[in-house]
Formats: sequence, C-alpha cells, structure tokens
Amino acid sequence: MLKAKNPVNPGLSIIIVGCGKVGTTLIEQLSKEGHDITIIDRNARKVQEIANFYDIMGLAGNGASHNVQLEAGIESADLFIAVTNSDELNLLCCTVAKQVGNCAAIARVRTPDYSSEAGYLREKLGLAMIINPELEASKEAARILYMPTVLEVNSFAHGQAELIKFKIPKDNILGDISVAYLGQNIAPDILICAIERKGEVYIPSGEFHMRAGDIISFVATRKIARDFLEKIGFKTHQVKNTMIIGGGRAAYYLAKQLSTMGISVKIIEKERERCEELSVLLPKAIIINGDGTDPELLKEEGIEYMESFVALTGIDEENILLSLHVEQVSNAKVITKINHFTFKDVINRLDLGSVVYPRYITSEAIIAYVRAKKNSMNSNIETLYHMFDHRVEAIEFKVNESSKVTNIPLMKMSLKKNLLVSFINRNGSILIPSGQDSIQVGDTVMIVTTHTGFKDILDILE
Amino acid sequence: MNSSIIRFILGNVLKIEGLLLFLPVIVSGIYAEHEGFYFAAVGVACLLFGFGMTRKKPANQVFYLKEGCITTSLSWILLSFFGSLPFYLSGEIPSFTDAVFETVSGFTTTGASILSNVEGLSHCALFWRSFTHWIGGMGVLVFLIAVIPLSGGSHINLMRAESPGPSVGKLVPKIRYTARILYMIYLAMTIVEVIFLLFGGMKVFDALTISFGTAGTGGFGIRNDSLASYSPYLQWVVTIFMVLFGVNFNAYYLFLFGKMKKALMMEEVRVYFLILLASTGIIFLNILNTCAGIFDALTKSAFQVGSIMTSTGYSSVDFDLWPQASKTILILLMFIGACAGSTGGGIKVSRIIILIKTIVKELNSYIHPKIIRKVKIEGKPVEHEVVRSTNVYFITFMVIFAASLLALSFEGKSFATNFTAVLATINNIGPGLDMVGPAQNFGHFTVLSKYVLIFDMLAGRLELFPLLILFHPEAWKELYTKRFTKSNG
Repeated sequence: MLKAKNPVNPGLSIIIVGCGKVGTTLIEQLSKEGHDITIIDRNARKVQEIANFYDIMGLAGNGASHNVQLEAGIESADLFIAVTNSDELNLLCCTVAKQVGNCAAIARVRTPDYSSEAGYLREKLGLAMIINPELEASKEAARILYMPTVLEVNSFAHGQAELIKFKIPKDNILGDISVAYLGQNIAPDILICAIERKGEVYIPSGEFHMRAGDIISFVATRKIARDFLEKIGFKTHQVKNTMIIGGGRAAYYLAKQLSTMGISVKIIEKERERCEELSVLLPKAIIINGDGTDPELLKEEGIEYMESFVALTGIDEENILLSLHVEQVSNAKVITKINHFTFKDVINRLDLGSVVYPRYITSEAIIAYVRAKKNSMNSNIETLYHMFDHRVEAIEFKVNESSKVTNIPLMKMSLKKNLLVSFINRNGSILIPSGQDSIQVGDTVMIVTTHTGFKDILDILE
Repeated sequence: MNSSIIRFILGNVLKIEGLLLFLPVIVSGIYAEHEGFYFAAVGVACLLFGFGMTRKKPANQVFYLKEGCITTSLSWILLSFFGSLPFYLSGEIPSFTDAVFETVSGFTTTGASILSNVEGLSHCALFWRSFTHWIGGMGVLVFLIAVIPLSGGSHINLMRAESPGPSVGKLVPKIRYTARILYMIYLAMTIVEVIFLLFGGMKVFDALTISFGTAGTGGFGIRNDSLASYSPYLQWVVTIFMVLFGVNFNAYYLFLFGKMKKALMMEEVRVYFLILLASTGIIFLNILNTCAGIFDALTKSAFQVGSIMTSTGYSSVDFDLWPQASKTILILLMFIGACAGSTGGGIKVSRIIILIKTIVKELNSYIHPKIIRKVKIEGKPVEHEVVRSTNVYFITFMVIFAASLLALSFEGKSFATNFTAVLATINNIGPGLDMVGPAQNFGHFTVLSKYVLIFDMLAGRLELFPLLILFHPEAWKELYTKRFTKSNG
C-alpha cells in the first residue's frame, strides 16, 4: 500500500474551511509556499472558482461535518484552519477535527464575548491558535498610536516583547557609537537584532558602529522601549486623543486598549443601538451618534484639533476617502483600515498614513505558524519569524536537555557569525542575555540570524 | 490572451516528443534498420525547435481555460505533424496525408490504419506507431505537468482540456502529484501486462507494442490479422487489460489508498462492468453456433466486446461476418465508450448515465410538472453545469457526426462503411464494418475524406470543445492582442 504522504513533497497537508477574505489570502500564500491544500466551503461555485485558480483541491460542503472532513483527508492532515464567518462554526469545525485527526487546529474567533476567554478556549479545546483579526488589527493600531514616530512596531514572541524599527535621525547620540557601548552605558535592557543600511541587513556584533540613517530593529518590552527612545532623544510623542470612525468590533477593541493607555477616545458611529451598546461597554470613551463621513460633523467634533484619527468603517472606500480628507484638514496621525486587499498598487500610492490590513495580519500570523511547523517537523523549533522580507529569521528553540550549549556563558561559546541570542525566556520572564549569562535546561531561547535552515539549538555553534 | 505561455508549453511538448523519438532509434539499432536515421533527424529537429521556443520563460505564467484549450489542441496538432514526418521522410508511408492520418490515429488512440500490409513496416516504425498510443492514452500534457514545474495553479485548465470526462478533478491537492500518480498507475499496469504477455511466450517486441496499444486503448496491431493468430491465453490477457484500462483511474487510486469500498461503490465503474458482461453474454449466445466451441465463443465475444467498448480496436476475428444483432451491439458499444478518466474514448459511461437520468427526470416532470429533482450520481447531486454541458456535448457530438457522415457520403461507398468509419474515428475505436471492417483499412478514402476523419479523431480525443475553440475567430484575434505593460511600473 502506498503511503498517503508524498516523500518528495516537503509541504504540509492543510485543510482550510471557509473561503472568505482571510481564507483566500491564506490559500494564495500557502499554495505559493508549496503546501498541499484542501479547501472546504458551502458555496460550491466559490470553491470551483478558487480551485481553478490555485493549485489546491476544493470540496463543497459543511466543514464541521465529520464525513466532509474525512473526504478532505483529515486523517492525514497536519493542520486544520477554520475561518468561516461564524465563530461557533469555526470552533465546532476544530473540535470535530481534533477528534478524528492528529492535526493542529486553528480557529478564527472574533466576537468580543469570547475574546477575553480565548486562552481558556484554546487550552480546553486543544487548539493550536485562536486568531482574532479585529483584535490584532486594533493592537497594531494601538502600537502605532503609542509610538507614532517609529517606523514599525510588531509584537514578538507571543506578545511578550515588541520588535521596534526606527531610523536614526541626524545628530543623534546613536550616530557613531558601537552596539557594545550602547549596551554597556546607555541601555542594558534592550537588544538590537538587526540593522539595515543601504538595503543590506546586518546582525550586529558588539563592534558594529551605528550611523545616522540606519534602520535599527530592537526588541524590548513596551515600557523599556519607550524609556530607551526618550533617553536617546528620539521623540515618541504618544498621542493624547483619537477619533475613531465606525463602531465595529475593531473599534471596540482599539478603544479599550487606548483607554488603558490613557488616550482619550471619541467614536463616531451611525447606528444608534450600537452607540448605546458601546457607551455601556466603553464608559470612558465619548460615543457620538452620527454619520462619520459628514465633514461638518467631523469639524464640529474637532477634527482639526485631533492628534490622531482612525478610519475603521466596514467599507474600504469610505475609510480611504475619510483618511484623505483628514490629511487635508488636520495634522492628525492617520490610520486607515483596509479590509479587502485588492488594488494594493493603488492603495500604496495614496497618502493614507499607516494602513492596517486585518486580513493580512491574520494570515501573516497563521503563515508564521505554518512556517514554523514546517521547519519544526524534524526539529525542536517552537516558532519562526521572518523579518526584512525573509532575509532574517528569528527562531525560538525550546531547550529540553543539557547539551554543549547549556550552562556555558555565551561569551565562551564560538557562535556563528551573523547570529544573536536575542533573549531567553526563563520561567515566563524575559532575560536579555549578556556575555556572562548561560542557557539553562527548560529555557526558551530566541535566536536572530541571517542563516536559514536551523533545526536545533546546537546549530548556533560554529 | 497569454500567447507567450502557449508558445512556452508548445516548446516543451516538442522537447518531450524529440526525446521520445529516440526510443524508436534504439529499436532500429537493435534490429539494424536504416530507418532509425529519420527518427533521429526528426527528433533532433523537435529538440531544436523546442529549445528555441522555450528559451525565453514567459513572465506571466497565469492562464485560463481558453489558453488551456488552445494549447492542448495546438500541441496535439504539432505532435501529430512531427510524429508523422519519420513515416513520410523514410518513404514507408509515401503519402503525406496517409502519414498524418496514421500518426493522428496513433496519438488519439484510435488505431484506424491506412496500411494494408502492416508487416511490411520496419520494426522502429512499428514501435513508434504503437508508442504513440501509449503517449496519447494518458496525454502528453498530463505528462508535461508531471515532469515540468510550472508555477501557478491554473494548469488544471490544461489537464481539463486533455483528460476525458464531464468533470475532471484532482486526486491530491497538487496537480503535479495528481499527474504523477496517474502516470505511475499507467506505467505500472503497462509493465504488468508486458510481464503477463511474456509469460505466455510472446516475443519482447510484440509484448511491448501490444501492451502500448492496450494501455492507451489504441489498437494498432503489428500483424495483418491484428491479434487473431495469438494463443487464447494471450488473447485473454489482452482482453482483461483492455477492460482494466477502460476503468476510471480514480478507482485505482482509491484502491491503492485502501479505500476499497469507495472504489467498488463508483457508479460509473459498476455500470461499465454491467454493460460489458451483458454485451458479452448476448454476443456469446448469438455467435455460439458459428464457433468451434463454448470456450472459443466466449474468448471471441469477450475479446471483441472489451476491445470495442474500451475503444481499443484490436480484433481476434473478423466481426464483420458476425450476425446482425452482434454487430449492432458492437456499434452501440462504440457510442458508449469507456469510463471517464480512463484512457478510452467514446461518449463515456458517466455521460451516458447522466443522459439517461436526465431522461427519467424529464419524464417525471411530465407527471409532476412542478417537481424539483436533481440528477444524482452515487447519491450526490450532479451540478446543473455538468448536466448542461453533458447535454450540449451530446448534441455537438451528433452535429459533428452528421456533418462528417455527409462529407464522406459523396464518395459513394456503402452507408455502413461511411457510418462506421465516422463512428470508429470520432470515438477513437479503430475498425468499423464493411469496407473499414477489422480485415480492411482506411486507405481507400480520398484525401479530403481522410482529413475529415483526422479532424474527427482529434475532436473525439480532445472531447470536441478544445478543438472547436480553434475555429472561433475571437480566439485568434485575442492571440494577437498585446498585453498591457506599463513602462515604468
């Protein structure tokens, strides 16, 4: 009897239920990366259309049905992703899948009712991941508003730390000092992971000298990062107030986070009932019932004095026009949410401030998981991130047994070039290692490197 | 339209043909025949053309159904043209039209020959003739998909245009592995047949060529009397393998992966075997008194039924001399053909099932005018799209059939000759009745009629529409419209 899996084919076999926005983005990305994908959707026509365009297998039916899952090959699947538009269906799909197959399951759950219970659900249902595009999008928007002057803020290592990218301005004290000097004298708690200079990416050693114009990526917790940026004289300017148009789920999540950060929030929402709900859910925020696309209303609510503006309606065209309008009438930092990812070429040309793509963020998170899973098939990699367009990998290893790399101070090991032990997670607390620190059994270690194909923690040695 | 990808794929098809043309060269080396030179020369020419056409990789590799259909049709025409050159250049088939007819008949797995004396051909020519069946059976583009990495997922359109059946699906998510699995099954079954034939004392050359003909359900024999002079054991081996190659390959896939029950539940395969058994039974009774005994009658009836229904076209007896009832059953079997997703031709069992069920549905709607009922196969509703395209397929089939029949009728030959000539070519069977019967050949038709039959063979193999699209003026107009490109991004 033949084995179901093709030995020459290194891809995972993945089942995706639901061909909505996130579903199709996932299909596009994952089929490009060479995985075996089977899609399930109730809409036969849609399945047919997608199967005609991508190299995948389509199946029309209910993804929660045991028989449909069997037909899709759940028994030999590695990963099951449920991204239909119903949270409950997604959870049911994954629950059924977990009973039959020995696969990792990912569900999209976005209703605020469940969002606070995501961790509980994930653990009890044995899911690999619960994704919430609106929550992720609002987190990204909040990060931008927290430090509006940096280039990029990404969550790192399951949100335990943040990866911040910024450009060194002219006449900054960082210009022409070495990385080692920075670590010893200015900021011991931050870690510079990568430096981009004229399109080249370097993993800096201690002797590396920074220059004005370099794009620095560093890892730190949120508080430490801001202290560091302030110390070197890089103004972060957290905004004081913000105006949000549209009172959907993303607006709720965002307002909630901003309130805790001490930013005052104003939400403009058309529907009266929703406004009343929001006013109960978000006691600190100002909820305005009105048409956010009315310039007079915006003026009345003081758009000219706002420090930031977030367009979060469900209609992309409205968001784009609103942002373009606000760029004209105020100095606010503008964030635009784009739900559909089509016409990227046009969107990139418009002056929309920072753009947030919920569907892209979600699929990125899943793809990062899939990549790590693929790489970890014969290894002990926990997660794997790609940075700088795949030029740099950040890999998280779990250290389960004592080996050549444990209990030896880092400075005494001969590590590969262009490689960095960026932090150690010991019993839940993050440690930015210095030369004297050593890796212990039970640690989770994050490595940043330009090398690819690491399988084991021992690969860091020369 | 994306004409650069069409060029690219056609180039690759030529490269493959160029390489395959060296197989007969090896044969000519073994038998020390000088005809091998012509095969080598054409092979080199194919390779040169192929490399020329594939030198520039197209930037845009996306293509749609229309590109898929046009590529498929053009590559079959190209294949046939280059494949016929060695016959013509070496002078073994002096007329160019005849050489093309013979090659098209080979690639489309028809097996209709214009040669009156097959045994007069050189070994390498005989080998190439039979080998074209093997390539054409599963399809050269399916082979291309299996070996050449093409990016993008739209290549299902190529396979859809080339593979027979009303709805072409995949076995596994990736089309490349689907194509590979199909070719693996195909190759393995061919090898098993060769072994069985060798076991029965057949010569290696005969075993190979006969197996190629069986696997592709082609039907070129290497003897003038086709398979009549082989032993009953060998005839039974060929019978069984003809029947097996007429089964939907999905059934084998399910079988291999341990889904025995699902494979046995396939409605099309069940109906296929039912028709085979019933036809064999009737013909067996019908010819019993003319044969040398029960075993002889069974061997002959089973062989002919298997050969005709799977559209192979081997013969172990001149069935033109059989009683009318038996001949009529064979003619009906020619219409039905083999299973979809097999190497056989004809209208396909699954289409017949859909058509008959549509009739029942229509009848029901006369009794209950407001009834809502869907045509179902294996308990699953068939998409309206599939039912519609099956109906249109049948009508188109009939229109082409009628037009070809009319075109042939001007020659003044008997109705049985003309009717079965068209029938045997459009369904890729091979022999018909009367003047195109198993003991006869197609050499006596005029050049014009031969081209009509060549068209029928190609149309039948590619299932009509991919070939017909070549006659749509817009397809050509689009081929020459430039793609929009912006100069500075």
